[in-house]
This record gives sequence, structure tokens and C-alpha cells, in this order.
Amino acid sequence: SGESDTKTLRIAHGLDVNHPVHQAMVYMRERLQVYSGGSMDLLVYPSGQLGSERENLELLQIGSLSMTKVSASSLEAFVPEMKMFSVPYLFSSPEHLWNVLQGDVGMELLEAGKPYYFLGLGYYDAGSRSFYTTEKPVYQPDDLQGMKIRVMNSQSAVNMVNTMGGSATPVSWGELYTALQQGVVDGAENNPPSFYLSKHYEVAKYYLLDEHTSIPDVLVFSTNVWKELTSEQQSWVRQAAADSVTKQRALWKASTELALQEVKKAGVEVVEADKRLFANKTAVLREQYEGTKIGALIQRVLAQDTGLSSDDQNSQGDAQ
Amino acid sequence: MKLLSHLAERSDTLLRWLLIVLMALLLIDVSWQVLTRFILPKPSSFTEELARFLLIWIGLLGSAHAYRHKMHLGIDVFVRTMSSNKALVVSRFVQLITLAFALAVLVYGGSKLVLLAYHLEQKSAAMQINMGLVYLALPISGALFALFALEQMFAIPQSTEELV
Amino acid sequence: MDSTIIILLVSFVVLLALHTPIAIAIAVATVLTMLATMGVDAALTTVAQRMASGLDSFALLAIPFFILSGYLMGQGGIARRLINFAMVLVGRFSGGLAFVNVIACALFGSISGSAVAATSAIGGFMIPAMNKEGYDKNFNTAVTVTASTTGMLIPPSNILIIYSLASGGVSIAALFMAGYIPGLLVALSLMLVCAVYAKKKNFPKGLKYSFAEGLHHLFAAIPSLALIIIVIGGIIAGYFTPTEAGAIAVIYALVLSLGVYKEIKLEELPDILLKSVQTTAIVMLLIGASASMSWMLSYEFIPQSFTELALSLSENPIMILLLINIMLLVVGTFMDMTPAVLIFTPILMPVMAAMGISPLHFGIMMILNLSIGLCTPPVGSVLFVGCSIGKTRIGEVVKPLLPLYAAMFVCLLLVTLFPQLSEALPRAVGLIE
Ligand code: NA
Ligand code: NA
Repeated sequence: SGESDTKTLRIAHGLDVNHPVHQAMVYMRERLQVYSGGSMDLLVYPSGQLGSERENLELLQIGSLSMTKVSASSLEAFVPEMKMFSVPYLFSSPEHLWNVLQGDVGMELLEAGKPYYFLGLGYYDAGSRSFYTTEKPVYQPDDLQGMKIRVMNSQSAVNMVNTMGGSATPVSWGELYTALQQGVVDGAENNPPSFYLSKHYEVAKYYLLDEHTSIPDVLVFSTNVWKELTSEQQSWVRQAAADSVTKQRALWKASTELALQEVKKAGVEVVEADKRLFANKTAVLREQYEGTKIGALIQRVLAQDTGLSSDDQNSQGDAQ
Repeated sequence: MKLLSHLAERSDTLLRWLLIVLMALLLIDVSWQVLTRFILPKPSSFTEELARFLLIWIGLLGSAHAYRHKMHLGIDVFVRTMSSNKALVVSRFVQLITLAFALAVLVYGGSKLVLLAYHLEQKSAAMQINMGLVYLALPISGALFALFALEQMFAIPQSTEELV
Repeated sequence: MDSTIIILLVSFVVLLALHTPIAIAIAVATVLTMLATMGVDAALTTVAQRMASGLDSFALLAIPFFILSGYLMGQGGIARRLINFAMVLVGRFSGGLAFVNVIACALFGSISGSAVAATSAIGGFMIPAMNKEGYDKNFNTAVTVTASTTGMLIPPSNILIIYSLASGGVSIAALFMAGYIPGLLVALSLMLVCAVYAKKKNFPKGLKYSFAEGLHHLFAAIPSLALIIIVIGGIIAGYFTPTEAGAIAVIYALVLSLGVYKEIKLEELPDILLKSVQTTAIVMLLIGASASMSWMLSYEFIPQSFTELALSLSENPIMILLLINIMLLVVGTFMDMTPAVLIFTPILMPVMAAMGISPLHFGIMMILNLSIGLCTPPVGSVLFVGCSIGKTRIGEVVKPLLPLYAAMFVCLLLVTLFPQLSEALPRAVGLIE
């Protein structure tokens, strides 16, 4: 589309057009047009039109797609260090998380995909994941005993729920509403905007803000397409991506606040968890990495903790 | 030409038995999944993945087999109205298109995908097998498609009915 | 944008007209269109990736299983027991065998996923039986062919699974529930045509059974009928996924035909497996190729352009639906149902979204529309199978088909105008709001 002298880039993601991620990408398009004086365009493909996260990564490697957004856990296959984000209670606060993401560790991880034909351009906020249940509330790990909890199809997620005492059940996200309604599972876990936008709050009336993991989203660019850009075009893309990250974090924060407000209005019991109970129960998951590459990375992450107490910082309003 | 049709016949026989075995395996695999979900406490996540990958293999290899036996759906109303000479030219053209599709998309595109997956050590989520193994069905199916298309191109049609 | 649509349309139509296998025509037209915006390497590799990943879906696995269970039921004595059961219900009326045919097709349709399977399984028994009773051979074939399509709407249904996939994940359970009322509506209206026909032609009354015989046939059919409750009940209640239900249907049919009825021998199994693989592979190549085409359509924003075009024609949802029906009826005369659903669903879905028409209502309408196409020349797989089983020619079946088409067409209008017909049942069992 467009005149031949316009450089058209294409970005795809799996979320709906009302999601902060999509809106931030539309903003990235506007910024790129401004920086490039209209000589570059960015077409945004929402709702998984071009494929799943794994397939989109493959399209970057093939070169038919320029850019995509994937969860850090989708990158584990290429950059095993990304497994770090699935370790429960690794970050003491959102500030700690963002210090790490925008510091050396975060930047190294963005570059680590290069041998696999993709380059990370920044992180989007994906909040923190917490449990929600249908029949009875959960206040402490013991309450999960015997409960079937839906998890993402990932080994780390399965391990985490099983370690806490629940029984992890992989169900596809699209079928989860019915699964909750019909009692195929007793609960699930996700961040507030997903809990709200999926309408799971209609059937799951207990939301425990235990915030076990904070797995960010990553903006990745195809190195095949990157090579074809002039260094000037590359810097416009980087600037537009950086603007989009700032925008997305603000949108995410607002959308988290709105989500919590709306689910409470709908009669959901939202409870602050005593996170220490959950953190103690899952300490073994962090210890298993001791002496490995990921273990060393975890040490660097812990060293970057500013020491703010989590009780002050992890209240619901902060970027989760 | 004898060699070609001999090779095609042999490959198809082999293919038939492979397909029967894969289909039986698929049935056993999903039945096992149903069983484990209702009887055993832990659901098995690799049975689902195995089933999906088996379907890719059955679908792609089975398509080549179905092509040899002219089972794929097509619209023959216009070709039916043609003279037998014209129909022969058209059917040769379509066989050429099929050959090009098989070589370019399935063999070439498929091999690129296989190499990419091997090079990047792309592992599947549950079984942790290389995705190249899954994509390998593409070039193999393409090679069979190409073989069967060549066989048809060099075969002498027995009747006009065979052309459409 | 305009040039890409022209490349796509011209290459696709020419390839189709030359009798290229539809799946290959789809893939080749897709590659040619993609070359306008990307390099050869990227285009070929992307199409290859879509063809493999298009099949990478657990929901699709239900298809080979329902195909296999259909073959097992056809050969394993289940079809005949359903026919006997239908005979007890309606055999005594004038034109009874025609009613039996429709009901048996609907019953068979409700345990198997495919119309072709129903035509060969039920038609294989019913057409000769009706011929023997003095019914018109062409009428018998026409009834079997149209009645078999009710199995497309009455669950389980492979085409509804394919639609669920093509529409981006409309719940299969909800679609299955949505198909019941329209499917039964078609069956009833076909029986109405049969009744009029039977009266006019003075068709004989069928068999009248004694109470004991009736009871015997009822009991004989219970294991077959139980499958409906297990499979559909299990899916609706959420005990298992449609794919798992498909596997259960296969195991159940295996046990019944191999162990209980003993009408299939173990050595016949490889052949039945191969037949299922063939039918499955034809569908899968279409699905893979269509996955690449629908990817390319999204990539070029063609559904959006089509939506703008449609909305510029009319903003009245009913008008749009009627226009789409006319288009699909034309498509259906030339194209089989599976490729038509795979090609048109991704293009039409955004139009439906813009009009506020539910994907459930639209899906059922489209399948009913294309069901008519399955029975029309020049291209109609069910019609072809029916004619070969009824040992007659297409030209001769068309005349008795006309009133049956009319009945289906009236049902199509009702389903188009009244979304409640599709939505009431899934809403009642809580599958939609
Ligand atoms: Na059915
Ligand atoms: Na037709």
C-alpha cells in the first residue's frame, strides 16, 4: 500500500483493538510517521490475524513480518534466560521490575535474540498475575489444595501452581470462560485487565491479589528487515518504539485501575494477599536455579532491588 | 517412463501403510488422552501435541496419496465441454502447475522452514522435539506430489474421462 | 491494493476453471498475490508455514474421528438399526419409506459428521428398499441427497468445526447447539414435501409392526441412539472437547460393530482407516491452503476493503444478509462446502461484525445455504454420491429435486430472518449470553 518511496513496516499481535498493547502500537505508527516525515509507515495487525505468538516469531525469521509483541515466556525457547521472569516473587515492586528491565540485564536480554534473527526493542507492561476462583475464595497457599487451576501451556506455570498446592490444568484461553462456568476448572490466574476483558469475573467471584509473577511483554523486530533499513530509519524506529513503551505503560496502569474498579462493581471480592506465605511456599522454584546461568542472572536482579518494602509498593494502583 | 510409474506405485504402497499406521496411532493417542483425563489424576500434555503433529503429517502426506488417486475436489464443468485435444493440453498445464506448487511451496518453502527450525533449535512446547521434525512433512509431501504429477504427465490417457 | 485483488481474482478463477484441484488453486493464487508485496523466498516460506500451522489445531482433530466413526457406523450395522427404528416410528403412513429415509438421514447425521457418509450409509439401504416398494427411483435419490445435508447442521458436524476455525474461534459447543433447530426444520420441511408427493403419486404405506416387533427394533437401536447422548451431551455439559468426543465416538462404534454386532471384521479395519485418511486429507489440504489465503487476505487488508464495499451497498443488515445469500447460492452451485466456508468466512466475518450480526447466526445461515449447493449441479458432492448409489443420472434427479430445493430455500429464508432459530438453544443451555 502507499507510494513506492514509503517504507512500510508491519507489526502483528494477538490482542484485541481495545487493549493497551494495540493502542500503543497505533501510537507507535503515528510517532514513526512524525519522525520519518511520512517516509515510513507501520501497519498494525491485531487479534492474532497473522498467527500465534510462536508463528509470528517465525514470520519475523522468514522476513514477511517486521515486528511483533510476545510474552517474555514465548521467547524462552530462544533465550532461555527469559525463564527468569517465571520465577515467582522475583521482583519486590514494580519499580524493581522496571529498574531491571531498563538496566543492563533488560538490555542484554533484548540483544540476546540476535542469533535467532530477532532484536528486542523494548518491554511493554503486562502487570502481575494473580489467582481468581469460582466456588470458594483463596487466602493462603493451603486453600489451593485440591483446586484445579487453569495455567498457560508452560512448564514453569504448571510447576508453580503445583508447588503452591493446586492442581495445574492447561486449558486454552478461548475455552476458559466455559471451563470456569462448568466447573472443569476451579480457578485461573491472570492480570486484572485480562480478568476483566475476558469477562471471567462474571463466573469467578474471588480475586486474590497475590501477584505471583510479573512476566513482561517484549517488542521484537526481525533482523532480516532491520538490515534493510538505513541507520537513520533504524533510529526513527527505535525512537517510535520507545515512545510507544511510555504510552503503553500509562495506558496499562489506567486499564488495571479500571479493571479492578469494574470487577469490584460487578460483585467480585478483591482481596490483598499475604504474599510472604506464597513466596515462602515457592522459594524452592528460585533455589532450583542456583549455580546455573539463570541463577547468576537472578543474583544480578536481586542486587538491583532498591529495598523498598513490597507492602508499600505493591498496592493495586501501581503498574502491574 | 516404466521406471517412473514403478517408483510411483512403490511409493504409494509404502505411503498407504504409513498413513494407516499414523491414523491408528492418532486414534490410540487421543483415546489415551481421554482416558488419562478421566481416570488418572494428572492430565498428559504431550498427547495433545503429538495428536496435532500427527494430523499435520496425515493431512500433508495423505494429500499426496489423494492426489495420485485424483480425489481432490475441483471444478470440471468447463473442461468437460472441451474437445479431447484441448482437454489434454489443459490437463498437462494443470499437472505442470501442481508440479510447480509441489516443488516451490512444499519442497523449497518447506525445506527452508525445516532448516530454519533446525538451525534455531526451535523446540515444541510439550514434547520438546524440534519443530523441524513437524515441518519435515512439507518437503516429503512435496516430493511425493511432484513424483505423482510427473507420473501423470508422462502417462498416456486412456479416455477423455480421465482428463477431467 | 487494487492490483493485488486483481491478481488474486484472475489467477484463482482461471486456475479453478481449468480444473486445478481447488486447494492447489488457492495456494498458487495466494503465492502469486503475495509476490506483489514481498520477495519470492518470503512468500514461498510463509505459504509453507501457513499450510502446516493451519493444521496445527486440536479442534481440527475431531474431523478425522467423525469421518472414521461415520465409516464404521455405515459398514458396521448401526445405520441399518437406525433405519429400522425410523421404520417403527413413521413406516405405517402413506409414503412411509420416504419419511423413514429423511428421519434415518437426520439420525445418522446426528451421530456422524458428514453428509456424504449419510448418503452412502442410508441411501445404500433406503434407495433400493424404496425402489422395491414401487417408489420413483429419481425421487428416492433426491430425498436421500437433500435429507443427508441435515447432518451438516445437526451435531456433531465437521463443517461447523471448520467454520469455528475459519471464523477465529466461535465456540464449537455453541455452534453444535445452534444447528439443532434449523437442522430439524429442514428435515420437517422435506418430510412435508414427501407427504404431498406421496399423496399425489399415491405411494404405498410402509410396514406396520406389531408391538413386540416395534419394541425389539427400539431396543436394537438404543446402543446406537445412546451415542448421540454420550457425544453431544458430553460436549454440551463440558465433560469433554469435541475432539475427545470424536475419539469416543470411534471407540464406541468400533466396540459396537466389531464386538457386539460383529458386522466388521478385524482385517477390514486397515481399509476403513485408509478411507478415513483419504477423506481427511482432502479436507486438510483445503484447510492448509485456505489458511495461507486467509493470512494473505489479512496481510493485504482485503476483508476491511470488502466490508467498506458491502456497507456502501446497504446499511440494512437484512439486505446485506439477503445479498450474501444470493452470492453464496451461486458459489454453492460451483463449489463444495468446505472450500466455500474456508474462503468466504474470513472475508465476510468483518462485515457481520460491522452489522452486529452474531457469528453463530451467520454460520448456521451460511452452512444451510451451502447445503443446498451440495445438492445442485454442476458441482455437488452429495448429489454425485447419491446418483451413483441410486444408479441414476443427475439430469433425471433434478426434477424431483425442485420442490425439495424450494423447501430448503424457505428454511434458509426463515433462518436468515429469525436469528432466534439459531440462537435460542445455545442461549437456553447457557452457552451464549
Ligand atoms: Na451431524
Ligand atoms: Na452445487
